[in-house]
Amino acid sequence: MDNLIIDGTRQTPEINFDSETGILKLEGRSIPENTFEFFTPVLNWLDEYANSAPGKTIAKINLEYFNTSSSKYILEILKKLKVLLNDGKEVLVEWYYEEDDEEMMETGEDYEDVSGLPFKIISFEEE
Amino acid sequence: MNTYEKFRKMMDNHIMLSFKGEITSDIITMVLQIMETRLDSVSEKGSVKKKIFNVLVECMQNLYHHSEAEEPGDINTRRAMLELFYDDEYYYILTGNYIKKDAIPPLRDRIDRVNSLSKEELRSYYRQILDNNIISDKGGADLGMIDMARKSGQKLFYDFHEATDTLSFFELRVKVAKKKPKK
Repeated sequence: MDNLIIDGTRQTPEINFDSETGILKLEGRSIPENTFEFFTPVLNWLDEYANSAPGKTIAKINLEYFNTSSSKYILEILKKLKVLLNDGKEVLVEWYYEEDDEEMMETGEDYEDVSGLPFKIISFEEE
Repeated sequence: MNTYEKFRKMMDNHIMLSFKGEITSDIITMVLQIMETRLDSVSEKGSVKKKIFNVLVECMQNLYHHSEAEEPGDINTRRAMLELFYDDEYYYILTGNYIKKDAIPPLRDRIDRVNSLSKEELRSYYRQILDNNIISDKGGADLGMIDMARKSGQKLFYDFHEATDTLSFFELRVKVAKKKPKK
């Protein structure tokens, strides 16, 4: 299957989902007014990915900002990954946050709790 | 008031940005760009800047999705207001938009509930709503107010002003502390 590559904009995140390596990157900011339009193809891709996913999937999520309508879709992405985990595949979510951004760290913990996926919450220094 | 007096008043009230009109996608992008530059120039700490930015994003989403037209049926009259200003302690994000009068009680209940919760309670409420609510076509699905209260770390101030027979003008004021509270 094809990889999913979407360039980032000032309103939408950069997406680089690799179906062969199982590395799914989601980076930047997600603040569009119409989240449905942006995330529907992403969720559809994940449905297809579930049929041919490699043994291990690592989702690398590194978001600077996202609005609450995106937050629902981020959970939807994680729920799709939960299906893989339930199928006996290995899944890890790496959640990145800038070291002074406590809210983004807490949000990572919230997603870890709600999704039931293994998380690694990783801080990095501000540029 | 002459123009210079108007200018002085804006200066004295520390108004960083003031907008009235329809909140379009272009306006949102523009406002965020302006505020990013402005907050950089006042060299606010990264975390304060992020909080303001987050609240601003949420406020503008609200205005974008929930503003009613002043003249019923005329979408060109979906006018709203947005203002950012500060004093010694806080940054303030003030918004105003028309809502239908019958939308007042549920909105009031929602904000009152958010304001009644402690930091930890807000967090578990957030998790609960995030997990349970279906995605609405307007996206937000109740998380907006919870998120603003969490990100700002402050109570949300609101008011409803009598406007027309069917409409009320909803005012929402969110403040963000300038400095990180000492631990």
